[in-house]
Amino acid sequence: MLNPNLFPFLLGLSAFLFSVGAMGVLIRRNPIVVFMCIELMLNAANVALVAYGRFLNSEEGQIFALMVIVVAAAEVVVGLALITQIFRLGRELDVDDLSEMKE
Amino acid sequence: MTVLFAIVIALAAVSSLGVVLSRQTIYSALSLVLTVSMLAVLFLLLNAQFLFAVQLIIYAGAVMVLFVFIVALLSPDAEDRPVFDVRAIIGTLGVIVVTALVFVAARNGITYSTNGFHALAAGSAGNPYHSFSFPPDAVNNAGNVQTLASQLFTNYLLPFEITSMLLLVAAIGAVYLTRRSSQ
Repeated sequence: MLNPNLFPFLLGLSAFLFSVGAMGVLIRRNPIVVFMCIELMLNAANVALVAYGRFLNSEEGQIFALMVIVVAAAEVVVGLALITQIFRLGRELDVDDLSEMKE
Repeated sequence: MTVLFAIVIALAAVSSLGVVLSRQTIYSALSLVLTVSMLAVLFLLLNAQFLFAVQLIIYAGAVMVLFVFIVALLSPDAEDRPVFDVRAIIGTLGVIVVTALVFVAARNGITYSTNGFHALAAGSAGNPYHSFSFPPDAVNNAGNVQTLASQLFTNYLLPFEITSMLLLVAAIGAVYLTRRSSQ
């Protein structure tokens, strides 16, 4: 049976994944890796939602996590399309050089 | 069960570090595959069977294949910056502080009621898990696929439909963005 003492560890994992993702967004310069770190942060939110839903005995956590997964999938599609366009324009893949979206 | 939780949590944490610290982009992508797979196992252990399947199919399947495709297509160079510069040190400190704060807060029973947030003094709680102290056999029979679907298609039908619109918009946007301009 599920041990209630487990809950802080699940929230701790969620916080750890989120802050690692935030650190990656801040220190990495490759936009593909930055997108992966954003995925990491969204997954961290999912862990917290599912853990709360489990321990508070309700389905809402899972439903919101499902919405987060859908939004993450849509975001990845658009983001990777943007990255391929940037690459096709012959620009270097570095977010410091891409701080403006203009040509 | 607890051992399984410990293994899954440890693997997810270590592989998430691999995402950030790998020099090669493809290693970051493969680390992220391991992370999302471990989170899928975690969802299964937390009685979220439908999310387990969704996580494996959409994340470990579709999204990560897309990432690996893009990495193979663009073949970005490995970053040649030093690993331990000032930003990395500040980021590491931030990770440690945030994780410790959330863990201690959850362990000492900071909880929310209609009066707002309130906390017990650290270590003084007789039962630090009072906000989640229901009898073990009452733990959630909710959360299986049937109850999830009954909620999703009644109370949450409108958000569900809106996500389908979002997917349509994302598909059209991706086609528009990657189309070659005919000039």
